[in-house]
Amino acid sequence: MYSAEISRANPTCFVFLIDQSRSMEDRIGGEGGEQSKDDVVADAINRLLQELSIKCAKEEGVRDYFYVSVIGYGKSVGPALAGALAEKQLVALSEVAANPARLEDRVKKVSDGAGGLVDLAVKFPIWVDPIANGGTPMSQALALAQSIVSSWLKEHPDSFPPVVLNLTDGESTDGDPTGPAQALRELASTDGNVLLFNLHVSSDTSPAISFPDTDALLPNRYAKMLFDISSVLPNHMRTYALQQSFSVSSDTRGFVFNADVTSVVQFLDIGTRASDLR
Amino acid sequence: MQGRVNTFGLPKRGAADSEYEDACQVADDDTHGGDLRIVVADGASESMLARRWAWQLVTLFAMAVEDVSTLAGFSAAYQRAADTWEVEVAQYKQEREERNFPIQWYEEPGLAKGAYSTLLVADFRRGLDGQFVSWTAASIGDSCLFQVRDRELYSRFPIDSSEDFDNQPPLLNSHGTSPEVLDRYLTLADGELEPEDICFLATDALSAWFLKTFEAGGEPWRMLGVLDERAPDEFAELIGKLRDDGTIKDDDTTLVSVDFR
Repeated sequence: MYSAEISRANPTCFVFLIDQSRSMEDRIGGEGGEQSKDDVVADAINRLLQELSIKCAKEEGVRDYFYVSVIGYGKSVGPALAGALAEKQLVALSEVAANPARLEDRVKKVSDGAGGLVDLAVKFPIWVDPIANGGTPMSQALALAQSIVSSWLKEHPDSFPPVVLNLTDGESTDGDPTGPAQALRELASTDGNVLLFNLHVSSDTSPAISFPDTDALLPNRYAKMLFDISSVLPNHMRTYALQQSFSVSSDTRGFVFNADVTSVVQFLDIGTRASDLR
Repeated sequence: MQGRVNTFGLPKRGAADSEYEDACQVADDDTHGGDLRIVVADGASESMLARRWAWQLVTLFAMAVEDVSTLAGFSAAYQRAADTWEVEVAQYKQEREERNFPIQWYEEPGLAKGAYSTLLVADFRRGLDGQFVSWTAASIGDSCLFQVRDRELYSRFPIDSSEDFDNQPPLLNSHGTSPEVLDRYLTLADGELEPEDICFLATDALSAWFLKTFEAGGEPWRMLGVLDERAPDEFAELIGKLRDDGTIKDDDTTLVSVDFR
């Protein structure tokens, strides 16, 4: 299981669910926090799409190993990409890469080759802007993801199982999302069940936690609920998590609390990985 | 004993020939004093310009006058390839500008990181009587050499078991590396040749299939040994069938057979 090759002939689907509710205005880590939760989530989704595009980039463009859906939930539930892709529910990755709403100039710290860091000007693509408005219809969002993934699986029954990543503060206002999450995880291709991962952005000041195998250290019921509905990482993903210095066990789940989630892109295989001899 | 060489290549399903990122070169002229050199490279899927880099490597290694089956010789040829890479990249960027399709934001990190490829080079050496008598080989990564004698797998290099293949083999980066680092990953081997031998060089998908078939009691060389490069469709048909069966990974696939019989 979870061994299907992800290729243009056999692509898979990546669904991102973004909490855009009013509570996302709050600060990460409490009132003194530097960033609001909606800023963090928008930044995370933009970096995820950027990493995915770079991972699949070849000379003549980005290859469609993935089809991407970005769904926002807050005042309403629906497609959340800005710019030319607004209103589109499922988009080939090449289209995503070719159509950011805008490119921002940012500065990135890179190694100077002599043990120090230097500033490097880079283009940072933006597809999603921070939004905080309305309630948190997480159950509806999960149901929409179920519908998108069901349609995908009908067309691509042998694909690597679709991955759904939910970015949220967990404060669902349309009922307990456990049932819809379970229904989503029960969907399957011939290669395994759909994977549901969660990024929890929280005002809680507890330390960040990445890919835990127990909810014992999670600080509140929202975190525990999101941990509960997250899939266990398949074997090969655990191996990649371990290589990225995360501590893992056979119970490790695709759940992150107030931490960087872009590493999940590196859990996906599209062929021979490019890494330096050391 | 003469070496009859057949080369075959097939891109992964749904890919155009121009997207094929394996490369191979056979140097059977006087470059190496009558010896036969075969170089096989497999550009990494997750890198930009992998096809160009694989070709750059096989071309320069095929031409190299050094004994590339030593750390010093291999390192010198690799450094030469890395030294000329920036010119290749500049040329590529120029081509893109001329096509009014300049480098896009999503390509820049990959170009900065450099291209990656495996490399397997084998020299088949002649004795004083002009007959092939021995081989030496050097490898970074998971492209393999198999030597078959008397219908038995006599040598395998550098991977012994089908379990040892994964998608993170050691790779040569186009920025080059120090001989000290290269020394940690470069594997070398040598052997004798007999008149009835047949050798196969293959990239990872076919190599993994070869070993898996052998481990299950099969004789994969029988299927590969009868292929003739003048009938490339037969190779495509065989690989297509193995892909249909799910017994081989759908990947760019390269085979070079050297028949000394």
